[in-house]
Amino acid sequence: MKPKLLLNVLFFLITISSTRAQDKLKIKFGSVTADDFKTTVYPIDSNAAAIILADIGSTEIVGNTKGSFSLLFKNYRRAHILNKNGYDIGNVEIRLYTNGESEEELDNLKAVTYNLENGKVVQTKLEIKSSVFKDKVNKNLVVKKFTFPNIKEGSIIEYEYKIKSDFIFNLQPWDFQGEYPCLWSEYNFAMPSFYNYVTLSQGYHPYTIKTSTTSRGNFNMADNRGVGATERANFSANVVDYRWAMKDVPALKEESYTSTLRNHISRIEFQLASIGEPFTVRQVMATWKMATKDLLEDEDFGEQLSKDNGWLSEVMPLALRGAATTTAKAKNIYEWVRDNFTCTNYGRKYLEQPLKNVLKNKNGNVAEINLLLTAMLRKANIQADPVILSTRSHGYTHSAYPLMDRYNYVICRTETEGKEFFLDASEPGMGFGRLGFKCYNGYARIISPGAEEIDLNASTLKEVKNTTVFIINDEKGNSIGSIQQTPGYFESVRLRSLAKEKGKEQVFNDFKKMMGEDIKISNTRMDSLLNYDVPLGIAFDIDFIGDKEDIIYFNPMLGEGFKENPFKSAERFYPVEMPYTIDETYNLQMEVPKGYVVDELPKGAVVKFNEEEDATFEYRVSVSGSNLSFRSRLVIKKAYFLPEEYEVLREFFALIVKKQGEQIVFKKKATP
Amino acid sequence: MIKQVLTILLTVIFCLPLMAGDGEYAVGKIPVALLKNANVVKRFEETRYEISSYTKMKVYKKDVITILNENGDEFAGLFEFYDKFRSIKSIEGKIYDATGKEVKSLKPRDVEDRSAVSEISLMEDSRVKIHHFYHRIYPYTVEYEVVIEFSTTFMFPSWFPQPAEKYAVEKSNITVSVPDGFSFRYKAFNYTGEPSIVPAKDGKSYNWQVNNLPAILKEYAAPEWPNLTTCIYFSPDKFEFGGYKGAMDSWNALGQFQLLLNQGRDKLPDAIKQKVHQLTDGITEPREKIRILYEYLQKNTRYVSIQLGIGGLQPFDAAYVTAKAYGDCKALSNYMFALLKEANIKSCYTQIKSGEGKYFFLSDFPSDQFNHIILCVPLPKDTVWLECTSQTLPTGYLSGFTSNRPALVVDENGGHLIHTPRYGIKENFQHRNIKATLNEEGTLLVNAQTSYGGLQQDDIHGLINNLSKDKVKEYLHEQLDFATYDISKFNYVENKTAVPTIEETLDIAVTNYATITGKRLFIVPNIMTRNGRKLTADDERKYDMVFTTDYRDVDSVEIIIPAGYNPESMPQDVAISNKFGKYNCSVKLSGNKLLYYRSIERYTGRFPAKEYNDLVKFYEAIYKADRSKVVLVKQETTKGF
Repeated sequence: MKPKLLLNVLFFLITISSTRAQDKLKIKFGSVTADDFKTTVYPIDSNAAAIILADIGSTEIVGNTKGSFSLLFKNYRRAHILNKNGYDIGNVEIRLYTNGESEEELDNLKAVTYNLENGKVVQTKLEIKSSVFKDKVNKNLVVKKFTFPNIKEGSIIEYEYKIKSDFIFNLQPWDFQGEYPCLWSEYNFAMPSFYNYVTLSQGYHPYTIKTSTTSRGNFNMADNRGVGATERANFSANVVDYRWAMKDVPALKEESYTSTLRNHISRIEFQLASIGEPFTVRQVMATWKMATKDLLEDEDFGEQLSKDNGWLSEVMPLALRGAATTTAKAKNIYEWVRDNFTCTNYGRKYLEQPLKNVLKNKNGNVAEINLLLTAMLRKANIQADPVILSTRSHGYTHSAYPLMDRYNYVICRTETEGKEFFLDASEPGMGFGRLGFKCYNGYARIISPGAEEIDLNASTLKEVKNTTVFIINDEKGNSIGSIQQTPGYFESVRLRSLAKEKGKEQVFNDFKKMMGEDIKISNTRMDSLLNYDVPLGIAFDIDFIGDKEDIIYFNPMLGEGFKENPFKSAERFYPVEMPYTIDETYNLQMEVPKGYVVDELPKGAVVKFNEEEDATFEYRVSVSGSNLSFRSRLVIKKAYFLPEEYEVLREFFALIVKKQGEQIVFKKKATP
Repeated sequence: MIKQVLTILLTVIFCLPLMAGDGEYAVGKIPVALLKNANVVKRFEETRYEISSYTKMKVYKKDVITILNENGDEFAGLFEFYDKFRSIKSIEGKIYDATGKEVKSLKPRDVEDRSAVSEISLMEDSRVKIHHFYHRIYPYTVEYEVVIEFSTTFMFPSWFPQPAEKYAVEKSNITVSVPDGFSFRYKAFNYTGEPSIVPAKDGKSYNWQVNNLPAILKEYAAPEWPNLTTCIYFSPDKFEFGGYKGAMDSWNALGQFQLLLNQGRDKLPDAIKQKVHQLTDGITEPREKIRILYEYLQKNTRYVSIQLGIGGLQPFDAAYVTAKAYGDCKALSNYMFALLKEANIKSCYTQIKSGEGKYFFLSDFPSDQFNHIILCVPLPKDTVWLECTSQTLPTGYLSGFTSNRPALVVDENGGHLIHTPRYGIKENFQHRNIKATLNEEGTLLVNAQTSYGGLQQDDIHGLINNLSKDKVKEYLHEQLDFATYDISKFNYVENKTAVPTIEETLDIAVTNYATITGKRLFIVPNIMTRNGRKLTADDERKYDMVFTTDYRDVDSVEIIIPAGYNPESMPQDVAISNKFGKYNCSVKLSGNKLLYYRSIERYTGRFPAKEYNDLVKFYEAIYKADRSKVVLVKQETTKGF
C-alpha cells in the first residue's frame, strides 16, 4: 500500500477558483533592501546554510516561425546565503536539450549579487559575456554554467532567465522542493485549449495556492522555412491559467532504504494528452490499449516483433542448442542472449539501432536486448511480449495513465507450457525467470494487444536463507561440525559475482573472517555456481581449535546474523522501502563439548512486529541431555513500512541484534 | 572406410581454415607465463613522440590488448582526452576474436564526444573521445590506433606500459624523435639498459622497449606503483606553452617560467590596498599580519575552479579575484601573495603535488609534477605555509593534503625545492576519555571526551566545517560502530593553532551494549577505538611495506556497572612493541568500576617484505584484543549453614 499523498493524478478543469490577493508574493527583480539582510536564521530551518526566498516559474505556449508552437519557460529565483556551506547555491547550471535539429535557447539571463556594506546594499552584476560558460556535455545536452560574483556570508543572490523550447512534448516538471529550504515556490502554466496537458502532482507538502482562471488569448505563428513567402496564421483560443504555490517547503532529506527520493519530492509533472481545434483533433495520450498499439507499431519499439525476421534464422540453432520442450527452448534462447550480449545502458525503453544491428554488434541498451530476446522467442514460436516498467531508482509509475516518461526499462514476458516467466537478458548473473529487485517497483505494463497491467511488488519477492549446522564431538573429544547454507537468491547473485571476480576462495575467506580465529574451516563445497536459476549451495566442515578454557562462551550464530541495526537513524521522514521480504532460518544441533556442562543458556524469545505479524523473530534454545538445539528465524512479510512504523521497526531490529549476539556458557565438569 | 575418410576430410577442412585464420593476435600465441594472475595482456604497444619544434609534437599510439575475462573489461575501451593544446587527429579500432580473426572495426560515428570537465571545476576546456566495442565473448582482443597533435612540448606524457595490477605486457616500445638542438631528459624505473639512439631526419630518435612483463598483484601497503613496474618519465629542457617560452632543465628554470606567467598579476585595486593597510598598519609582528590577512582572504573569497587554456598554469590576476571574490588555487594564492606584498611581507608562490598520501615525487628530476598551488611565507626564523583555497584551516596548517613533501617555491630568482612541514607522532594524536554507566538492561550511557590532533583531526575538521549541525548529527548517527544507539549531545571545539586540535564531546546511549543474562554480564570494555583491519598471511610477499603517517591513540575508559558482580573471565593484559608500533591494553574491575586502558602507536618507515607476516600477527593481536570481552558473574548470596 502506498500513502495516498504519493501520487495524485488530476485532470484539468476540475477546480476553478479566484486568486486571493494576499497570496501574491511581493518580490521584484532588483528590489533588495537593507532590511532583507536582517534575518540570519530562518524559522523554517535554523541550520540551513542557504534559503531560497522565492522560486517562481512559468510556462506559456507561443507560436514560432517554424509553423508550430514552442514552450516559453521563465524562471526567477532569489536566495539568501547564510554561511559558507551555502556558497554552492551560487553555482548555477541551466540544462538545454538538443536533438541535432532543434536546440533549446537560453535568453535574457540576468544575475545579481547583493551585499550589505556599511548599511548600504551593494550590487555586483554577473558579466554575461565573459562569465557564462557553455559546456557541450554530449550530443543531446548543453549546460550553461555560471557562478555569482562577490558572494560572502550573508549575500542575497537573484537571477532570472527564459528558455524557448520546440519540444512541446517535453514540458519540464516543476520541483517545489530541493536541496535547500524554500519559503515560496510557485509555478504558473498558461494552457491553451488546443494543447491539453495532464498533470501529476506528488509529495507530502500541501499547496498554499492551487487555482485556475480562464481567459481568451491570441496566438500567432508563422512558417518561413519554405522557399516562398512566409505563411502566417492568427487565431484566438481559450487559455486556462493555472497557478500552484507552496510556502515554507523543507529541504529534501536523504535516507537509507528509500528506493529513490524522486518518489518523495514535492513536484508537479505534465504530459501532453490531446491536441484540439483549430488543429486536427487527436488524442496524444490515450488509453493503455491505444498506447500499447502505438508502441507495437513504433519502429523504435515493437514493429520488428510482428515480422518474420528472417535475419534471425542463422543464429536460432546456436541459441536453441537442440532444446526439445518449449520451456527448454525459451531457456536456451534466454541464456544465449544473456551470455552473448553486453548491456550498454540500463535506462532505456526505445531502440536506438535496428534489432538486426543489435544482433550484429552484440551489444545494446536494455530495451534492445530484451526486444531482441522477444523477437527470438517468437521466432521459435514461443509466446512472448515486451513489458515496460520503471526501475526502483527511477520512481513509481501509475497504472491509470500511459505516461511514458515514467517508464525507463523493458523486460520480456513469456509463457511456456502454461507457465508465465519474466525475463531480463541484460543482467549477466540472472537466472531464467528471475528479475533483479530493481524491477520490483509496482505497476508494469505488458505491451500486447491486451495491454494487461502487472504488479511487480517488492512484497512478493522473498529472500529465503537457510543455514543448518551440526556439531559433534570426535573420538578425541574435540568439537567438529559441518555447515550447510542456502543463501537468498540475491545474496547468491552477489556471491557468484564475488567468486567470479576474486575466486571461490574469497567467499570462504569471508566465512573464515566472520567466524573468527577459533574455528578452522575445511572441505569447502559450492553448488550451483554456474546454475543461475537457483540459489547457491554452500557447505564446509568446521573444527574448533580454540583453547579449552574452563569456561567456554559460545555464540551459536557462529558469526551469522545481524551485528548492526540496519536502521541507524533515530528519526524517519519517508517510508522504508526494502528491496524484498526476508525469511531467514538458522538451525544448530550440537553435542555439548566433551567434559563440559551447560552452565547458562540465553533466554528464548518470540517477537512480533505488530498484530498482523508483518514481521516476526523467533529465538529458541534448549538442551536435552548432551544435545543442544538452537534456532533463530526472522520473517519479514512486507517490504514497505510507513514512517509511523519506523520506531518499532528499529526496536525490532535492535532486539534481533541483541539476541543474536548472546552466548551459551559451557563449564568444565568438576573432576570427580 | 568411407566414413573414416570422410571424418579425416572433414577434420582437414575444419582445421585448415582455422589454422590459416589464426591471426597475429590469436590468444594461443600469448606466452603462458603472462597469463598468470592476468585479466589483461597487452600484446603489442607502439608509442611515438615525434617532435618537430617546441610547438609541435605528434603522438602516435597503437595498442593491442587481449581481455581474458570480464574483470579486464575496464581496459577494453578507448578514452582519449583533448583540449586547447592537444587535438585528436584520428582514431582507428578493431576487435579480434580468440583466434585472432578480425570481428569488426570501429566506425567513426560510434566514437562518442563528451565534455570532460571535472567535478571540482566550474569550467575547463577538457573533452574526451570515448569508444567501446562491448564484446562479451572472452577472450577477445581490441586494437586502437590514435594520432594526437600537441601544440606544446610542456606536456610530455610518461610511458607506463603496465598501467595497473593483473595486467601483463607482451611487447611495448616507445620512440621519442627530436630535432637537432632539442634536448630532453628521462628517468627510468625498473628498466635495464639504455635506450637505443639512432640518427633520424634532422635529429635523433630514442627507443625503449620491454617484453614479457608478468602481471603484478598489488599488496597491502606496497610502495607506489612506479616502483613496482617499468616506467619512464620525460621532461623537455626547453618548451613553449601558450605563447610563453620556458625551460625546466632545473627547478630554478621551472620557477622562472612561473615568474614569467605571474608577471604583473599582483596589482591590487586601491580600495583593497587601503583595506590591507587598515588591517595591518601598526601591527609589528609579521606572523600576526599574516594571520589577519589570511583570515581576510578566507572570509572574502571562495574556491571556484576555471581552467581554460594557459589558465591551467597562469593565475587570474589580483584585480579579477577582487571583483569576483573567487578563484582557484592559483588565483587565490596569487591574490594572497599580493595582499602580503602590500603589507610588506614577502611570500612565494609554491607549486606542489597535492593529495592525501601522494608522496611520490622525483626531486632529482626537474619536470612538471605538480597539480596544486599554495603559498610559502619565509620568516627569519621559520616559515609559514598557507593553503589559500580553504576558508576554514588555521593559519599555517597544511593538513594531509600538502604536508610532508617537496614543493617548488618560486621567489624573485626562480624556483627551488623546499620540504613542507611533517606532522609526526606528537602532533597526530587521539586522546579519549570515557565515563560510562551500564544499567540493568545492558544499555550503556557513554560520555566520551576526545581530543584529536594534527592529521587525526583533518576529517573531523572537514565534517564540522562543511556540514550543518543537523548533518553532523546524521553523520554521527550513521558512522559510530555500535549496533543501535542514540546521540543525545555532541559538541566540537576547534583550537586553530598552527597544528590544530579539536575537542569532541559525545553523549551516547548504546542500547544492548552489554549482554546481561540471569547470571552473567558480558561487556567489551573497549568502547570506541577498535582497529578494524585484518590481513591474510602471505609467505610469498613480494614488496616492502611503506607507512607514511605515524600517530598515537590513547583511551581511558571507566564503566560503572550494576552492583554485585565478580569477574569470571578477564582479558589478559596485552603489551606488544615492535618496529611497526606499540600496543598496550589492560582491564581491571575495581568495586563496581571497570577500568580499561589502551594505547597504540604506529611508526613510519619502509619495512622489508619478509617481515610482512609479523605485521599480520601484530594486526591480528590488536584486532582480537580490541574486541575481547569481560565476563562477570553475579555474586551468589551466601547461604548460611
